[in-house]
Amino acid sequence: MSLAPDAHLLIIGAGLAGYYTARQMRTQGHTGPITVLGAEAHPAYDRPALSKAYLCGTTDLCDLYLDDPADPLDVRWVRSDAVVGLSTEPLGVRTASGTFYLGDAVVIATGAEARRLGGHAIRCVEDAAALRAAPLAGARVAVIGGGFLALETAATCTTRGAGSVTVIAGEELPGLRRLGQPVAQALHRLHEQHGVRFLGAARALSVTPAGHAEHPEHAEHPGSPEHVITLSDGRRIEADVVISAVGAVPATAWLTRSALALDPETQAVLTDDTGFTGIPGIWAAGDCALWAAQRTGLRPVGHWQETVDQAQALASAMLGGVPSPMQEPYLWSDQHHVTIQAAGMLALADEVQVLAGSIEAGDLLVSYLREGTEIGILGMNRLREVVRWRRARRIRPAALAA
Amino acid sequence: MFLTEEGTVHALDDTCTHQDASLAAGWVENCRVECPLHESTFSLRTGEVDQPPAKRGVRAHQVTVQDGEVLVELSTAVPQLPPGVEVA
Repeated sequence: MSLAPDAHLLIIGAGLAGYYTARQMRTQGHTGPITVLGAEAHPAYDRPALSKAYLCGTTDLCDLYLDDPADPLDVRWVRSDAVVGLSTEPLGVRTASGTFYLGDAVVIATGAEARRLGGHAIRCVEDAAALRAAPLAGARVAVIGGGFLALETAATCTTRGAGSVTVIAGEELPGLRRLGQPVAQALHRLHEQHGVRFLGAARALSVTPAGHAEHPEHAEHPGSPEHVITLSDGRRIEADVVISAVGAVPATAWLTRSALALDPETQAVLTDDTGFTGIPGIWAAGDCALWAAQRTGLRPVGHWQETVDQAQALASAMLGGVPSPMQEPYLWSDQHHVTIQAAGMLALADEVQVLAGSIEAGDLLVSYLREGTEIGILGMNRLREVVRWRRARRIRPAALAA
Repeated sequence: MFLTEEGTVHALDDTCTHQDASLAAGWVENCRVECPLHESTFSLRTGEVDQPPAKRGVRAHQVTVQDGEVLVELSTAVPQLPPGVEVA
């Protein structure tokens, strides 16, 4: 049953998923009221720059706003009021301020929260602002995590003039498990060329204030550090600034006692591949949700483009329009002026082939195969090749097909 | 500079208005170029943008083809650069 044209839509969460869902609902013709409830005090903003241009100080929060002040969405924004409870009968949500909002449909888009091991994290603008304000010049910086967020942050810290940047990636080479040997070697080399140091497969077990830790026997730096990180191989790393980039957990604590089915492992809201939860009128998208294809491992979780594509698919399903197909998964990252782009089902690959470029030059073009068939691609400063690959595989909506 | 399959020639500012990316590496279709990083597409004729993440169009420059030579008259409008990027 599709949403009536005058129906009131409640969107819970004012991040990328919330903004794009509202935008897609308007683009696809919904005329009824839309209310977006956000816990943060800011207008909806885009997060990718928080580990890059924002952290460097070259852009400000207002540059990251998703909505265009010159052409704003026709949406009611409610800020600084976290949603604390979901009601199915009547359909609506309760907020921290005690307000109950009634809706004809609810889209849950509360995103995810950073896992925090200690020190800094980078999830919201306050996190990034704290790190931006931290004196990084000359500091011993330790980054925990080996994903793109960790690597981007490490790269930015070198730009900010850190005395040393050490990455505790938890694998022999950064990205080895997810991206394969050649790309992991190229990333390792790229970062080492810019002075970033890696500690191999050791994982970080804990971060403690230096004053409370036992005196490390083999201190690697002089001076009095702020933190000591204990590694799984017994080493202790001293650092003035510690940044954790070790993943995120769906922000669904407010749904624990609701009627919704949550993933037992991650607590993400389980939905079908249109974002429908199975409970009439309730949908979910973005990092708080686990769509069916994500649950089976076919599609990635936590990528910017995935959320944007979900918003479009969800809106067309909710409005009963022509189904919007999900495109090949896509991600990108910027590290030390190298743009890394990947597209396709990398997680399913059983073989990796270097098509062009070299690890030394940092300009790899890599193909991912499964049983001999290409299912994905990754390029380092290979914008032309990656865009061509994606467009050749673009799935067009049914109505436009011949 | 863009040469379309139809044989028309167009000139745009090369930097996407959302983030520092060269539109010359983008995808051209239906007289529009899609940024190689995201989904925004720009008209090769006017430079206007159709969808986010970019909010502003790029400048389109006037092109004439004369005896096989491409002549470009640069726009006098203010360039729309992404935040944090300045003209060298």
